[in-house]
Amino acid sequence: MMNRRTLFGASAATASFVGALFGSKKASTATTTSSKFSSADVEPRGSKGRLERLPRQHLEAQHDFITGFRVFANRDMTSAARRRIAKIMRAKGIDPTKRLSYKEVLGHVGGDPLVAASARMWLSAQQINWKTLYDEFHGNANAYLAEMEATDNAGPGTLELNPDMYIPEYLTHEIHIQPGGYVGDEFAGHIYHYGTNNFFEGRNDQDELHIGLATAMPEPEDGKVVRVLDQGCSCGQLSVALKERFPDAEVWGIDVGGPMVRYAHMRAVDIGIDVNFAQRLAEDSKFPDNHFDIATNNIMFHEVTTEAAHEILAESFRVLRPGGVYYPIDFYTGNPAPKGVFSTFRQWWDSRWNGEPWRLDYAKFDMAAAMRKAGFIVNENGPPSRRGARRNILGTKPT
Amino acid sequence: MADSNSKRKSYTADFIKSDTDEAVFLGNPLMDDMMTSIIALGAEVWANRRRTRIIELLMEKEGAVTREMIEAYVPTEDEEAEMRDERDAFIQLTYGHIARTGEDQTALDGSAKTNPGKASANETDDDMTGDAGMGMGG
Repeated sequence: MMNRRTLFGASAATASFVGALFGSKKASTATTTSSKFSSADVEPRGSKGRLERLPRQHLEAQHDFITGFRVFANRDMTSAARRRIAKIMRAKGIDPTKRLSYKEVLGHVGGDPLVAASARMWLSAQQINWKTLYDEFHGNANAYLAEMEATDNAGPGTLELNPDMYIPEYLTHEIHIQPGGYVGDEFAGHIYHYGTNNFFEGRNDQDELHIGLATAMPEPEDGKVVRVLDQGCSCGQLSVALKERFPDAEVWGIDVGGPMVRYAHMRAVDIGIDVNFAQRLAEDSKFPDNHFDIATNNIMFHEVTTEAAHEILAESFRVLRPGGVYYPIDFYTGNPAPKGVFSTFRQWWDSRWNGEPWRLDYAKFDMAAAMRKAGFIVNENGPPSRRGARRNILGTKPT
Repeated sequence: MADSNSKRKSYTADFIKSDTDEAVFLGNPLMDDMMTSIIALGAEVWANRRRTRIIELLMEKEGAVTREMIEAYVPTEDEEAEMRDERDAFIQLTYGHIARTGEDQTALDGSAKTNPGKASANETDDDMTGDAGMGMGG
């Protein structure tokens, strides 16, 4: 299958192209339009496998630092804060594994300098992460917008944008404090992809995590997989991996963010994978009844309200065919959910300050019960979705 | 927030701005801002160290270096691994003490200790399971 790099003959653009394109903003437009390559394919530093390298050495180095800093924040600082919280709670005669309300937790540990520093450092790195990417893509907006425009109508796969679509307010905040969130910035997909990539500490450069999720995806009992739906697909990494897992199936990725699916489509075209992306809501997907054999999503439910979660489950039940499977991948909820003071503290600041306003509601949401209510036969000990997971909830639409 | 070129079709929608810039963890907004500044400076120092290393590698390999060569340079796997180790050592040098000694130097009521003891490394991490490695916030 021909991919866009081959098509344009620009597998790794020349050094002079790099210098001219990003030497100054002024040079950017002129060089882009006069390049012998397609003016659209902005890949000045080539690719590392399927990951296009960040377009400037300095930006790549900044993100290398952020990657390393996240490792430090997630391991060293988190471990120190966890030990500190345990020590504080034991000194107060309270079991640190006890489930307390977040208000109680803040009352006990919120003022501790080390605990506070652990959250502050994580959030500061997050802010720096987004700002560097925002500045890059907006500073060279013409080139990146032209790149997306050139693939909006290209294949393989299709792109459906619905700029006048109703967007529920609950989805319009800046998720993960990403500038503009998923709906408010033309480069939401670009920023999300690179900003989350360093979150995975270099272990998802080639979509390894998403390929793992797709590999673990359970099939319907009859083995028939003709259509697959990825809800809340963001920049399309799982959708692409699902197509690779089920090459004969028609795969759809839907997301509320127009810029998200636009980037997802551009990237899929670039890689040469035939996926259909559409700007649609998971709770109002517009697909026919009994249409899909598999429906899934990855870390979507903790981004939606409880009300929307019920609507999404009802819609998922509607679009799955009898015997079809539903496999929502997210944090555990209900009884298997993490307990303890440290987890509650982390959920609190993540929710309050990292743009996860529905996370605390999600922590209380009984996913298995809600799936049963929607009509699914539920297996709470379904196959694990990823390495290190013990189980995953699996729903089946009764035949 | 959207493209300033009005001739282009926009696919954005209105959004609710985060108030995270107002978050105060360290008792004073200036302290929080300074922490962000210190981490941002770390990123800049590291970016320049990495660039210096690339210049050195290019000088060794090519005998000369231009800006374009620096921008285009892709380290080998061995070079990448070497720089990764150097980066992690740099981060430990600049920030590691906060994790290592913070427990020792503050009392459980948050006040400064005058005679810090040795950090305990024996506490277990068993109060949290399942969250690590997923999502964007832990």
